[in-house]
Formats: sequence, structure tokens, C-alpha cells
Amino acid sequence: MDKFLLLAFRNIFRNRRRTLMTLMMVGGGVAGLLLAGGYFAFMTHGLRESTINDGLGHIQIFTADHFRRDEARVLDTGIENWRQVAATVSTGGHVRGVAPRIEFYGMVSNGTKAAGFMGSAVDPAAEKSLGFVSRIVSGRDLDPKPAGEVEALIGVGLAKSMNVSVGDGLTLLAMTSDGALNGVDVEIVGLTNSGVAELDARSLRITLPAAQRLLQSDRVTNLVVGLDATDNTDRVAAEMAPRLRGLPQQMVLKKWIDLATYYKQVNTMFNGIFLFMGVIVFFMVLMSSVNTLLMSMFERTREIGTMLAMGTPRGWIVALFMVEATLLGVMGAIVGVVGGNLLGMLLNASGLHMPPPPGYTVAIPFRVLHVPAQMIGASLLVIVSLALASILPAIRASRLQIAEALAHV
Amino acid sequence: MNASDELVQVEAVSRRFPLDHNYVSALDNASLHVAAGEFLAIAGPSGSGKSTLLNLIGCIDKPTSGRILVEGVDTSTLSPSRMSALRREKIGFVFQTFNLIPVFTAAENVEFPLLIQRVGSHERKSRVAAALESVGLSARANHRPDLLSGGERQRVAVARAIVHHPALVLADEPTANLDTHNATQLIDLMHDLNRRLGLTFIFSTHDARLLEHTDRIVRLCDGQVESDSPVQGGRRG
Repeated sequence: MDKFLLLAFRNIFRNRRRTLMTLMMVGGGVAGLLLAGGYFAFMTHGLRESTINDGLGHIQIFTADHFRRDEARVLDTGIENWRQVAATVSTGGHVRGVAPRIEFYGMVSNGTKAAGFMGSAVDPAAEKSLGFVSRIVSGRDLDPKPAGEVEALIGVGLAKSMNVSVGDGLTLLAMTSDGALNGVDVEIVGLTNSGVAELDARSLRITLPAAQRLLQSDRVTNLVVGLDATDNTDRVAAEMAPRLRGLPQQMVLKKWIDLATYYKQVNTMFNGIFLFMGVIVFFMVLMSSVNTLLMSMFERTREIGTMLAMGTPRGWIVALFMVEATLLGVMGAIVGVVGGNLLGMLLNASGLHMPPPPGYTVAIPFRVLHVPAQMIGASLLVIVSLALASILPAIRASRLQIAEALAHV
Repeated sequence: MNASDELVQVEAVSRRFPLDHNYVSALDNASLHVAAGEFLAIAGPSGSGKSTLLNLIGCIDKPTSGRILVEGVDTSTLSPSRMSALRREKIGFVFQTFNLIPVFTAAENVEFPLLIQRVGSHERKSRVAAALESVGLSARANHRPDLLSGGERQRVAVARAIVHHPALVLADEPTANLDTHNATQLIDLMHDLNRRLGLTFIFSTHDARLLEHTDRIVRLCDGQVESDSPVQGGRRG
């Protein structure tokens, strides 16, 4: 068997130029997949962490009724004794902290013009301790204990549409829990830019006490739990869920992935593109390899005839061609993995940036992650592709008429 | 010659090949009996049916009519896999163009028939060494065919044909690509192996100068056996 493998291996290098071209094609396919896949992995990983650190957190706690809430009176279904709930979820391991939130809606007015907003009331100290950062492009973050007026951060789009800037005042209007309309004056202390234009056109952030005064309630809509690492989310969620069942209100726990709709859409899109590229590479390798292997078979017709004349079982001829193609696939995969990773390292060192995607205003750095699963997957893809490509030439070789093959010139 | 001594029996064999809408007859009602241990030449001009006859005896082609027996087995009744096994175990081949595997060394080429018979590695090694020694190429064992002369390549091919101790060695125009000196040396080598090892050799040639080195000559013409006679003063040892 060792000699058989040796024969297959040496046969690969008979026509070195052709082998080199095949290796470049196969390796190029693998490298291309790794570069694209590595870039997609960087994008999705970056998007995952930024989604979490922009305030989504790793886990969020809601009341079970929250998802049937009236958006005008969001605190009707809020968490009543949120400090007790926060203490309950904080007791487990890997929890870095818990931040209370009120997600609410209302109108904002500058005296001459009004617009709808999506408000988020936060405890600035708790947010900061969890590393949740507001992307402030002008001004400063909310003061945990402001001395004067109610402070607000608003999106750059909302500031533009309301024609205000840092230091200006606005009036917020929202429905209280008993159905009355309430208002509060705020001072804009900073402008934020999330990178998503539609979000920046409506976002507004104030402190938790200010929102509770506006909404006339001491409830919160949700608790955001920050963990030490994203990979611990499933484990912590599994440990936390039973503890929540002992609370007076029925609580629901949501992991970040359940709430990150945009992340899931982007991830699905990247997976689809990667799969499509994989299919293209598969057929590219398959079709061109069939041609290459058929040429190799025709060139070796007399030799195959000789082997058959000597009594070589036809199955051995099939196996020989398939082993040759598989070895070629393995070598191509090695070339591709090495080449793809080297190219990825070069690109990472180059500091390239991609232009902002639609809906974004910030350029994205071009980075390629080195993902072992992608290396294995892309390698298997081309190896299987070459093995399949060898079936037709292998069968044709094994079915040669010996006398005709021996007379082949 | 007793029937029990007969290694090969060719009985009224014809072989026709389709050509356009007609047939061309390469062998026409040919009969031939070869005893074990013979050193026999099949002579005749190009197109006389020499290669066709060797292909049929070597079980790499089937007759259109008639039958061929090798060691008493009617080869026309064998399945393709049994034919393959018969070639593997009983027959050695030497070809006009050497037909060595170019990526294998001389020793590895000689080893190939043993590989396909699944002979153990230790025995393979000793048999390959003996075969190469018998053709005088021990020193060239690790050379690839492209580094060997034409005569050396054909001697490697002879070593490959005898390494598995076949009952019969078929050589189709083995000297056609050799100069006279190498051709004579090769025929003498084969004859020597015939005498020393008792191997049966059937080879084809159209070179009249080599025929005096054989024991028996079967002459073919237009696919028919024209004559079958021992060589006067042949070199039978």
C-alpha cells in the first residue's frame, strides 16, 4: 500500500506545470474562501461585541407581560421591585453588573417643532461600570448626579432635525402610567452617533430618575446584565433562569442573540454569501479538475494498459486516480490555508478600511480573522471536490480496452 | 508432445476487427501448441498477426472464434476478473516500447507485479534483487527509466516479466527499439533465462537475424500460420 501511495504521489508531479496550475487554482479557491470568511468573521464578531457593548448587554430581564405592552405606557408592564430582581441575578458567577433601564417613547419639542423619539433611561454609573459606552461626538456623557436641569443625550440626526446642539434645551412629552400626558425640560449635554442613521434620528437618553419622574413610576422596563465574557452567556442564562422563577413577578430572560435582530440578519447574510462562494469554488475546482485529470488519463493510456495487462485489478486503477486527485486536493488545501493566512496577515498589517455600508456613517476597518473551522471546511470542500472530479477519469481509465491502450501513441 | 506438457493450445483461432461497415481479419484459423519450457519465435512481416496472436495468448484480447487454453484452462470461458488473475499469476509481458512506469525506479518497476499479487515486503525485496541480478542490472536498481539506456530499460522489463515466476513470458517485438547489439544481447538473455529457470518464452519479431537464436519459429502471413518448424542448429541447451 505504501508503494501504491508513492506511485500516486509521484504521478502528481509528472507534469509539474499542470500540477502547479491546479495547485494555484485549488489553493486560490481555498485562500479566497478564507479571506472572505475571515473578513465576515471579523465583521460578525465585531458586530456582536459592539452590539453587546453599545448597551444590549449579554442578558436582559423583562416581565413576562413586557412583550404585550402598550408602547405609550411602557411601565404598566415594568419590573416593580427591580432592585430585588437585580440582586437575584447578580448572585451568580461571571456577572459583572446589572443596569436598570426604561425604554420609552414620546415626543420632543423645541418650542416650534416636535418629533417622536425612542427614549432610553439609564443609570449612568451602572452603564459605565458595565463598559456600555455612548458614542458621543459632541459634548459629554450624562452626569450620574446632575446638579441642575435634567440632562439628555440625543442622536445627531434628531439634533439636526430639531435644529439644536449641546447646551440647548428641549421639552420631552410622554404618557404617565395613569394615562396623563407629562412633560419635562431637558438640557442637551451631548450628541451621539451610533453609525445607524435611522437610529440617530430618533434616539434620546436621560437618567433613570428623570424618566421615572416623567413617567410617574418607580418601575423599570428591563434589567441589562453584563458578563465577563460573551461565551459564558448560555451557561449563565441556564443558571439564572431557575432563580428568576422564585420572584413575585413572572420574569423572562432573553440572551443577547434573542434581541440582536440586526446582528442575526447580518450573520445570516454573511453565511449566505460564504455558502454561495463555497458553491462557486466547489464547481470551479470540480469542472477544471475533471479536465485536468482526463488529460492526465489520456497521456497515461499506454501505461494504464500495461498495468491492466499485468493483471492489475481495475479497482486499483480507479483507486489510483482517486488517491492522486485526493492528494492533489490535500496539497491544494495546504497551499490555500498557508497562502490565505499569510495574505490575511498582510492585509491586517496594511490598516485598510472599507467604506461604510448602507445605513452606516463610519468606515469599517478591514481585518481578517483566522478561523480554524473555516480552514477545515474550505480544505474539505476542495478535497471532496477533487475526489469527485476524479471519478469520471478513474472509471474511464479502468475501462480501457487493454489491447487498444497498449497501441495508444 | 503430450497434451499434459502443453502450456498453450491455440485451436483454430480467428480474430476479426470491425472496420467501417466491414471486418478485417487479423488472424485466420490459426492453430499452435506450445510446450512448457519452449523458446519460440513468432515471425512474419508487419500486419501478419503476430501481436494479435500474442494478445490472444496473453488474455488481453478474446478471439472471434476458436479457443485458447493456457495450462489446460479455456480462456474464452473466463470472466474478466479471472482473466486478470490469470495474467497476474501466470503470464509475464515484455513490450516493444518497454512500458515501464516512469515515476518508479528500476527496482520499483520490477516490484510492481509482486505488489498486485500482494506478496509480502520482505519476499518482494529478495525477489526483486534476484530478478535484477539475473538481468545484470543490480547496480542500476535505483535509477529511473529515463536514466537508463534502451537496452537497460528492456532488461528491466524482462526482470519485471519474470519476477513473479510466471509460467509464460510473452514478448511482443521486444527488440524493435534496440540496435542489433542490444537486440542480440536481449534475445540471448531471454534464452538464458529460459534455460536456467525453465521459463517458457514466446516472442514476436520481424528481424530475421534474431531468429537463429531461437529454438522454434512459427511464421505467420496474412493471419495464417505459414510454417512451424524447429531451428536447425538452434541454441537449445
